[in-house]
Amino acid sequence: MAASKTSVKAKPAKGKPGKPAPKRTNGKAHVAKRRVAPDVALADPALFDPLTPGETADALRTLIEDRRTASMAKVGRYRVICTEPLVVKPPHDLAGHRLARVVAYDYSSDRAVDATIDLDAGIVVHLDMTKAQPMLSREEEALAMSIAMADERVRNKLQLGDSPQCAMHYWGRTPNDLAFARRSAAVVFGRSGTDGSASVIAVVDLIDQQVTQVVPAEVW
Amino acid sequence: MPTNVITEANWKFHWRLTESAGIMVYLADYKGRRVLWEGSLPYVTVDHQRQTLEVETDAESHGPWWIPLGTRTLQGPVRVQSFRGGIELSASFAAGPYQYTQLWRFHDDGRLCPWLTIYGPGVHDQHTYHPHFRFDFDLDGADEDAFEYFEAGRWQRVQQEGWFPYSGEADGEGNVWRQIDFGSRASINVRPHSWDDAEVFAIRYHDGEWAPFSPRSATGAQPFPAAYVGQEELEGHDLSLWYVAHVHFDQSFPYTAGPWIRVEGLGR
Repeated sequence: MAASKTSVKAKPAKGKPGKPAPKRTNGKAHVAKRRVAPDVALADPALFDPLTPGETADALRTLIEDRRTASMAKVGRYRVICTEPLVVKPPHDLAGHRLARVVAYDYSSDRAVDATIDLDAGIVVHLDMTKAQPMLSREEEALAMSIAMADERVRNKLQLGDSPQCAMHYWGRTPNDLAFARRSAAVVFGRSGTDGSASVIAVVDLIDQQVTQVVPAEVW
Repeated sequence: MPTNVITEANWKFHWRLTESAGIMVYLADYKGRRVLWEGSLPYVTVDHQRQTLEVETDAESHGPWWIPLGTRTLQGPVRVQSFRGGIELSASFAAGPYQYTQLWRFHDDGRLCPWLTIYGPGVHDQHTYHPHFRFDFDLDGADEDAFEYFEAGRWQRVQQEGWFPYSGEADGEGNVWRQIDFGSRASINVRPHSWDDAEVFAIRYHDGEWAPFSPRSATGAQPFPAAYVGQEELEGHDLSLWYVAHVHFDQSFPYTAGPWIRVEGLGR
């Protein structure tokens, strides 16, 4: 990951920390004004509370009734990744509203859906549909494990006592790797217990629901 | 998912367990003044981060992987315990051969320690772990902040968003990065663990640029938080900071990654 970052050169500080910083606007200097909006300090902690089952259901209903997600809902090949509370800072218009963030993966068009639902108003207030790859849902983790366990190449490499230990969200580093562009999981096989050592890694393509790589753990 | 408010050791803060970002701490005040809007551990990725120029073989060229630290991987309850001079939250997570303990420690002198202990055998000993911590500090309010980086023997004011690695240079107290608030004259000082191989991403806060539910953005694009870095001005605005550690397995696990953070200048 480090190789893809861009470093920015810092410039010398103009003043000591904590001193009001002189700012320039249109060539005229002025002293930064003391902030007068204490709204952040008055935020309602209850807005951060976990969603109730009813709020979660409300958020999902609202999302799939939105016409922008009609194709996703109609085909029905999507997974809800998670639904969590979201709190927006003042002075945003939605500050103080009870909001839910719903993240789903739409297999029918291979895209991520990231939506914000205003539970007070019952509407979708923000919707992103991108090629991003959100984490795996619990159902996808379970599916990846079952696909891997049913694969003969995997079974042939397992040792006595091996079982799936976990399914990790995985993506390839280069375009040569199928998992570079396709939603994938890596299932770790090994023995449960004190040492917990891994024996085999199976990469599962969740779109075609097949194992694409079987790699001994020591060379993974 | 439980939620709680704790008032102790000059701190008042709220916490809850998330689905994927461990224990989130939010609306944290020190001596009655707001310090933190929200802080969490969005993800810990694992991959090969090579220190040599050897050509990679096909078998070794796999990409990163990760599993959420949250409700699905939690082992036992979230613990709240007082210690001499402070209070701490801790929670253990496990996924196959990976085991983690997340800590939030609050000291009465203004120190704040968001840490992650990494242990368990892992898949093998050639992997590097990358815990990503995200902090949205609202030091006595959201705006009128700036970011500084200790470089070339002095604190440097940073004008634009960017990525700022720890080069080994630090001020007399070991701090490498700091966020300062013009109004209160207070600062948040960030000191890395010297073995973290750490870096900080300083990003101007925008609604919508919250912690994503994955480090992976679009295919072939930069991962988060690098995907959020543009050329926006930082000075005078609301900021969010990402502290990313790079922990090599051979650093004798268990290893505790994460920064020391100290609030200075508030509550006088």
